[in-house]
Amino acid sequence: MIDVVVPGLETSVQDFPGRIGFWNQGFPPSGPFDSWSFRLANLLVGNPAGAAGLECQYVGPTLKFTQAAVIAVTGADMTATLDGTPVPLWQSVAVKADQVLKMGPAKSATRAYIAIAGGIDTVPWLGSRSTFHKAGVGGLAGSALKKGSQIPVAYATGTPGRSVKPQCRPAFSSTKQWQIEVVPGPDDDWIDAAGQARFLDSDWKLSGKSDRTGFRLDGPQWTFTSKAYDKLPENGSEPSNIIDHGYPLGAINLAGQTPIILVSDGPSMGGFINPYTVPSAAFWKLGQSRPGDVYRFKAVSVDEAQALRRALDALCSENSLA
Amino acid sequence: MGERIETQVPGNIWKVLVKPGDAVKAGDTLFIMEVMKTEVPHDAGVDGTVSEVRIAEGEEGVEAGILAIVIT
Repeated sequence: MIDVVVPGLETSVQDFPGRIGFWNQGFPPSGPFDSWSFRLANLLVGNPAGAAGLECQYVGPTLKFTQAAVIAVTGADMTATLDGTPVPLWQSVAVKADQVLKMGPAKSATRAYIAIAGGIDTVPWLGSRSTFHKAGVGGLAGSALKKGSQIPVAYATGTPGRSVKPQCRPAFSSTKQWQIEVVPGPDDDWIDAAGQARFLDSDWKLSGKSDRTGFRLDGPQWTFTSKAYDKLPENGSEPSNIIDHGYPLGAINLAGQTPIILVSDGPSMGGFINPYTVPSAAFWKLGQSRPGDVYRFKAVSVDEAQALRRALDALCSENSLA
Repeated sequence: MGERIETQVPGNIWKVLVKPGDAVKAGDTLFIMEVMKTEVPHDAGVDGTVSEVRIAEGEEGVEAGILAIVIT
């Protein structure tokens, strides 16, 4: 067991790729937002890349280990210490029984990941241990860690002192600017040529009203083609309204004039158009950005998006470790 | 001894619960930020008197690591 002394802002059990196969019934995949950092943490401790670990958002937890373990902390720097001694990021570390791992606010970026050799051993729900707060399922009793929670671990041996090669780690923006890939569609034909050019040529600022359900963006006005106006009344009155339809994961969902990127815990359907879709290979950048950061979107084809995903999967492998 | 309390997260200042001159005890909530639609209370770590309040309710887009309140 690991005892939760301080839960952190929102620390949750996640696994990768999460709860796959239930989107048609409204269940999103959940899972780690930055699956790159998450998978590397698991590999460092000798776990399968997708084993259940912890995602920490903005402020990390304080955890007491009731028995010896091998752990790795990756992602955002939350100044982790073990009984007061700094814990190196991107490295596997031995923890003795009764030691306390303490993490604070993220100095930069947003999400840190903790993997434990053997993985977290909560009861899976619909094939995954990932927490989906909105439905209160997965993880520890369907919610983020709470003070006094106990995290069950399927302890296994790991090797301390392994590290991720520097060139194989994600590079978090230090300039508050991020380039995010998008695939046009499914509803890009509702946006006129000027609107499409404006989307790709403008700065989009991440709003503080963003969470694991959606990322709200502030930017210029959208303009539409006749499809948005010459439609049957059951589509709805706003130009961005459409008869309820399924949403792709990563959809840039246009609610009136406000684009919201539907992310890991997002809705599977609704009545707004989705002019663009962020491919899964770019999710780690969303997961590590902060309110006020600025996105520039770059259009890529489906083939290019799939190549990016294959490249990311290749980086999340034993070859990235030293 | 005193304490300098910094913002822990980037976000909005939702509530400021103290003003200069207020006596506070360790564990008292001084102000609450909002990020990711989540309240983030910031508590005093020591007993003392609030000598400076550098944040205001309703401020938006506040960075993390900004000096917010000084307790002496």
